[in-house]
Amino acid sequence: MHNGWQARTSNRALGRAAALVIAMLSTGCGSLEGIQSALQPQGISAQSIATVWWIMFWGACAILLLVMVLAIYALRRPKPSRLGHPYLIIGGGLVFPIVTLTALLTYGLSIGHEFHGGAAAPAPLRIEVIGKRWWWEVRYRNGPSATPIVSANEIHLPVGVPVEFAVSTSDVIHSLWIPSLAGKIDMVPGKVNRVRIQADTPGVYRGQCAEYCGTQHTWMAFYVVAHTPDEFEAWLANEQRHARVPSEAFLQRGRNAFVDAGCGACHRIRGVEQAFGALGPDLTHVGSRRSLGAGTIDNHVGTLAGWIADSHAIKPGNLMPPFAAFDGETLRALAAYLESLQ
Amino acid sequence: MSESRPAMERRLASHTPLSEGEVRLRKAWARPAGIGILSEVNNTVVGRYIIVTGFAFFLLGGILALLIRTQLIVPENTLIDVELFNQLFTMHGTTMMFLFAVPIMLGFAVYLIPQMLGSRDLPFPRLSAYGFWCYLIGGLLVFGSLFIGAAPDSGWFMYPPLSSLPYSRGINTDIWLLGLSFVEISSLVAAVEMIVGILKVRAPGLSINRMPIFAWAVLVTAFMIVFAFPPLLAADIMLELERAFGWVFFDATRNGDPLLWQHLFWFFGHPEVYIIFLPAAGMVSMIVATFARRPLMGHTWVVMALIAVGFISFGLWVHHMFATGIPRLSLSFFSAASMAVAIPTGVQVFAWLATLLGGRPWLKPPLLFIYGFLFIFVLGGLTGVMIALVPFDWQVHDSYFIVAHLHYVLIGGMVFPLFAAFYYWMPLSSGRMLSERLGRWVFWLMFLGFNISFLPMHLTGLLGMPRRVYTYPAEMGWNTLNLISTLGAYLLAAGVLVFIIDVIRHHRSGEPVVHNPWNAGTLDWLAPVPFQPWTFFSVPQVHGRYPVWDQAELPGEVDRGEHFLADAPAEQRETLITDMVSAKPLQVLRIPGPTWLPLIAAVITSAFFLAAIAHLYALALVIAAVVLVIFIGWAWMNARVPPVDQVDAGNGVMLPLYLGGVHSHSWLGLFLGLLVDATLFGSLLFTYFYLWTAWPDAWPSAPFLEARLPMVVGLVLLLASSAAMAYAKRANQRAQRSGFWLGIITAFVFGVAFLIYLIPLFARADLDPTRHGFDASVWAVMGYHFFHVCIALLLAGYSMARVVVGHLTPRHDTDLRNTALFWHYTTGTGILALLAVFLFPF
Amino acid sequence: MHASTTAAGTDRISRGAWRAGLSLLLCCVLNACDSTPRVPDHLRVVGGDPAQGERLVTRYACGACHVIPNVKGANSYVGPPLNMFGRRTLIGGHVPNTPDNLVRWIMDPPSIAPRTAMPAVGVSRDEARHIAAYLYTLR
Repeated sequence: MHNGWQARTSNRALGRAAALVIAMLSTGCGSLEGIQSALQPQGISAQSIATVWWIMFWGACAILLLVMVLAIYALRRPKPSRLGHPYLIIGGGLVFPIVTLTALLTYGLSIGHEFHGGAAAPAPLRIEVIGKRWWWEVRYRNGPSATPIVSANEIHLPVGVPVEFAVSTSDVIHSLWIPSLAGKIDMVPGKVNRVRIQADTPGVYRGQCAEYCGTQHTWMAFYVVAHTPDEFEAWLANEQRHARVPSEAFLQRGRNAFVDAGCGACHRIRGVEQAFGALGPDLTHVGSRRSLGAGTIDNHVGTLAGWIADSHAIKPGNLMPPFAAFDGETLRALAAYLESLQ
Repeated sequence: MSESRPAMERRLASHTPLSEGEVRLRKAWARPAGIGILSEVNNTVVGRYIIVTGFAFFLLGGILALLIRTQLIVPENTLIDVELFNQLFTMHGTTMMFLFAVPIMLGFAVYLIPQMLGSRDLPFPRLSAYGFWCYLIGGLLVFGSLFIGAAPDSGWFMYPPLSSLPYSRGINTDIWLLGLSFVEISSLVAAVEMIVGILKVRAPGLSINRMPIFAWAVLVTAFMIVFAFPPLLAADIMLELERAFGWVFFDATRNGDPLLWQHLFWFFGHPEVYIIFLPAAGMVSMIVATFARRPLMGHTWVVMALIAVGFISFGLWVHHMFATGIPRLSLSFFSAASMAVAIPTGVQVFAWLATLLGGRPWLKPPLLFIYGFLFIFVLGGLTGVMIALVPFDWQVHDSYFIVAHLHYVLIGGMVFPLFAAFYYWMPLSSGRMLSERLGRWVFWLMFLGFNISFLPMHLTGLLGMPRRVYTYPAEMGWNTLNLISTLGAYLLAAGVLVFIIDVIRHHRSGEPVVHNPWNAGTLDWLAPVPFQPWTFFSVPQVHGRYPVWDQAELPGEVDRGEHFLADAPAEQRETLITDMVSAKPLQVLRIPGPTWLPLIAAVITSAFFLAAIAHLYALALVIAAVVLVIFIGWAWMNARVPPVDQVDAGNGVMLPLYLGGVHSHSWLGLFLGLLVDATLFGSLLFTYFYLWTAWPDAWPSAPFLEARLPMVVGLVLLLASSAAMAYAKRANQRAQRSGFWLGIITAFVFGVAFLIYLIPLFARADLDPTRHGFDASVWAVMGYHFFHVCIALLLAGYSMARVVVGHLTPRHDTDLRNTALFWHYTTGTGILALLAVFLFPF
Repeated sequence: MHASTTAAGTDRISRGAWRAGLSLLLCCVLNACDSTPRVPDHLRVVGGDPAQGERLVTRYACGACHVIPNVKGANSYVGPPLNMFGRRTLIGGHVPNTPDNLVRWIMDPPSIAPRTAMPAVGVSRDEARHIAAYLYTLR
C-alpha cells in the first residue's frame, strides 16, 4: 500500500506537469480529475496504466519534436545538409524504432497481469455483471456455490482486495469500463469474460458502457462504490435481506399499485410474491441506489415518479413502457414505496 | 531538366499541320460529344469521375461530421435525437471509409498511373468504367438511405448481434450489407485492373526498379485489396444470410459466434487503413522528390517499406479486439506485430526527411500540405504505438482517445496528402494552377482546425468519454474540451470551403500552364497539359527513374512522334504491353473505346442488389441471370483472332497484336480474380474451422458425412474432370480437333455428374442451416463450391461455342486457357472443401 | 441532472475568467437570452437567489417531470411545463401563485393538494426560496 501511494504521488507530479503542456496544446482545458478519469487512478490496474501513459506521452513528445525540428531545419539552410544521407533513414527509421519499441514492448508485457488475474489465488468475492439493453444486472457471490445476491446498475466492492468480475451479456455486445479502476472488458454473447479489479481508495466512481450497443448506449452508465471492508460487509448484509414490508398505509398503497399494475412481470422484489420478473432491474433495494435508468438521473421519490410515468422523456428509447394510467396520488405512493426499499 | 517554357510553346505552335498518323490517333481517341461522354471509358475521364465523386462523398461525410460535432458542442444537447445521431455517426464512418477514402485513392490511381508509367490507358478500360458506375450507384443508394430515415445505425463496423435481425429490424442494416458489397465490387475491379496495368502496361525501359513510388504504392495497395476485401464480402454475405434466411453464423444462441464477425471484419478493416494510407504515402514520395528538387533518397528502402507494410498489416487485426477477452498469449503476439508496423513506416518518414535535408526544398502549397501531413501523421503514429500496448488499449479502447488517434492517422495520413495531390496534379487536368495564396489559407485553416478539433479528444478520452455517445452529462469535465473540438471542426470545414472556392475560381482565372510547372522528373509531367485522352503522342522509351530530368530531349521527341505508337493505323486505341520486369515491349494491345455497356451492366447489377434489399429474392435471381448474360456477351467481344499477326509499333519494332495463354493480360486478370475468389472461399473455410473452435463440444455431425464414400466419389470426379480439361487444352494446342472435343466433353460430363451426385446427398442429409453453425458453415462451403462448378461448366460451354464460331483456334487459345485455369481452381477448392467437411474434426 | 455524487467531477469551467466569458458568449449565442428579466415586486422572494435556484433545479432533477427552459435534460411532460411560470395565476390549479404559496408548494406539494402526483423531495425552506426566485424569472 505504501509503495502504491508513493507511485501515485510521483505520478501526480508528473501528471500535473504534463497537464500544463496538454492544457497549453489544447488551448486550455479542464483538470485531469473526475469520477470517470483514467488519469486519476484509484486502483492498481488503472495506476500502472496511467504510469505507462505518462512515460509514452513524454517519449512521443520528444520524437515528434525531433521529426519536426529536422523537417523545419530542411527549409532553413542555404545548401543541402549532410544530414540528408541514407544513414538517417537507417538510423531514424530502422535502428531507433527497433530499440525503443523493443523496450516499450518488454515493459508493456510486464504490466497488466493483475487485470487478467494470472495464476493468482481465487478472489474471495466474485461479482457477475450482465449487460442488458441498456442497464446492468449485478450479482454478488461469496464463494462459487453461494446463491447470488442480485442487484442492478451499481457495483459495490471492498477496497484493497482484488475482486473477480465475471461479465456476460443477455443481448448484444456491451463493454464494462471503470476508468478510475481499470481498463475495459467486453461482454460477448456466448462467453463469460473474467477480470480482476481492485479499488484502493474508498469513494464513488462512475463507469459507462464502452461498446456501442444501440439506441441508449449513451445512458448505459453505473456508479461504483468502493467501501472499507467493514462497510462493504454491512452493505452486503443489507442487500441480502428481502424487501421491507411497509407498515404505513400510504406505502402499502404504493405496494398495491406496484402489484396491480403488473410491474412484477418485469421487475423482481424479493419478498413480494407477485414481483418475479427478470426483464428489468431487480428493485429489492432500489431506494438505496444513487441513480435511475443506469446512471441517467439521480434517484429520489420525485425522479422515481417521473421515471414511472414517462421514462422516455428521460431516457428516450429505453425498453420500459410509459405508465400513464396512475392517478396522481397513486403515482406518488408508488414512488414513495420504491424509495422506501432501502 | 525539361525544356524551357518558350521553347515548349514554339514547338506546339510549329506542330499545327497534323500528320496523317496524328489524324488517325485523334480519331481513335476522340471523346464522344454531349451526353455520350458518359460512355467514355478512357482513364483520364473515368479517373476524374471517380475523384469528383469521391470528393463529393468527402463533403457529404464532412457535413455529417459537423452535425455530430454540433450536437456535442454542449452537454445534454437536444438538437439531434438519439435515433438520428446513431445513423449520423454510422454513415459518417461508412461514407468516409468506403465511399471517400478508398475510391478517391483508386480514382487517382486510375487517372495518374497510365501517365506515370508512360502508357495510354489501362488494360481493361470498360471494367474501370463498370467499377465506377457500381461505386456511384451503390454510394448514392447507401447514402440516400439517410434521407428516407432508414440509414444504417449499428456503427460502421456493424457488430452482430446488434446488427442481427432481433436487434436491427428494419432494412437499415440490409442496405449497409448489400449496398456496400455492391460498392466493394468497384474496389476489387479497380485492384485487378491496377495490378495488371502496373505490371504489364508500362513504357518501354521503365523496368520495375525504375518504377515511380506511387505506382509501387498502388501495386501493394491493390494486392492488399485482393486479400482484404473478400473476407468482408464473405462476412457481409453470411450476415445477410443470417438476417434474411436465418442461417446461423454469428448467433451465439444457436452455436454461431459474434466474434467471428469481428475477426473477418478486422481482417479486412485493419489492412483497409493501410489501403487508404499507402497510396497517399506514394503521393508524398512523389511530391517530396519534386519539391526537394532531387531524387527520393532511399528509393529501394521505401519500396521495401511499402511491401513490408502490406504484409505486416495483415497480422494486426486482433489489436481491434484487445478487450474481447482473447487469451493473453495471442494478445502479446498482436501487440508486437502492431508495434512492428511502425518500423517500415518510420523508414518512409526518415526517407522523406533525408530527401528534404539533402535537397533544396521549395515551400509551395503541395509541400506545405506534406509538412502538415508529417506533423499530424507522426503524432497519429505515435498514439498508434501507444494503443498497441495491450494494457493501455484496455483503458482507451472505444474512447475518444481512439477517435483522436484514428482521425490523426487517416486525416493526417490521407487527407493532407490528398490536398497536396490536388495542388500538385490539378494542372494535369485543367491546365491551370490553383492559387498559391488561397492554398496557404486552405492549409492553415485545415491544419489549425484539425488540431484544435482532434488534439483535445485524446484528453477527452482519457477523462473517460466513450465514443458513439449522442450526449454526455454536464459534470464529467468534458464540456470545455468538446466545445473546443467543435469549434476546431468548423475551422477545418472553413478550410475545405476555401479550397472549393479556389477550385471554382481556378477553372476561370487560374494561371494557365502548358508544361511541367513544378519542374518534376516523372512521366506524369512529360506530356503537355491539360492531358489529351491519348496523353503521349508517342509512347516514350525511358532510361531512368526520373525520365524528364534524365532525358532532356524526351518531351520534344515524344511530341514529335519519334517514339512508339505514333500512329493508329486501324483507327483503334492502342497501348504497349511490356515485360513485367524489364519492360521490354511485347505486344500492341488494342483497347476498347467508348461503349454504354459498363453503365448498362452497372445499372442492372444495382437492380439485383435493390431487389435483394427489398427481399424480392425471385426477382433478384432473374436479374442475376440477366447480368450473367450481359457479362457473357461482354466477354464474347474480347480476345478475337486479330486481322494481322504483327504490326509496326514504331521505329521498325514489329510486335504481335495477340499474346495467348499465360502471357495474355486477361489470363493475369483472371488469375488475380481467382485470388480474390480464393480469399473469399478461404474466409468461408475459416468460418467452418472457427465455429468448431468456438463450440468444440457442441459440434454435431451428419450421418452421411461419417461415410467416406461420397467424399471419395466427389474427389475422383473432380480430379478426372480436371485431367480431361488439361487434355482438351493440350489437344487444342496441337490442333487435334477430336482430342479437344473428347477432353472438354468428358470434363463437362464429369462436372455435371459431380453436381448430380453430391447436391441431392447434401440436400437430403440432416443439415439445417438455421439450426446450428455447423450446418450453416457446411452449406456455405459446399454451396460456394457447387456454384463454382456451375460457372466452370458455363465456361466450358463458352469455350466450345468459341471454337464452333472460330474465335478460339489452336494458336489463339486464351479462352480455353482461362477456362482450364478456372476449372483447375474449382477442383482445388473442391478438394479442400470435401476434405474439410468430411474429415474435420478427425 | 447528475449532481449529488459528482462533486469530484465538477467541471472547472468557471475557474478561468476567459472560460466564463466564453461560456457566457456561447450561452448568449445558443439561447439568444438577454439578461435576467425583471421580476415584478409582488413576486420577489425574500432571501431567494435565482442563480442558486437554477442550480438547485438541476440538482433535484426537476426535469424528470417538467420542461424547464434552458435546463439541460428537462424534457418531460409528466408535470406542467415551467416556462412562463412567472405569469402563472395558480399553482397546481389550487392556490394563488404567491411567493409564500410557491415556497410551501416546492417543499411539500401534497400539503396543499393532497391528490397531486408531485411528491415532497426533501427541499429545505432556504432552497425552496431560491428555487421560487428562479421560477419567477421565467416570464
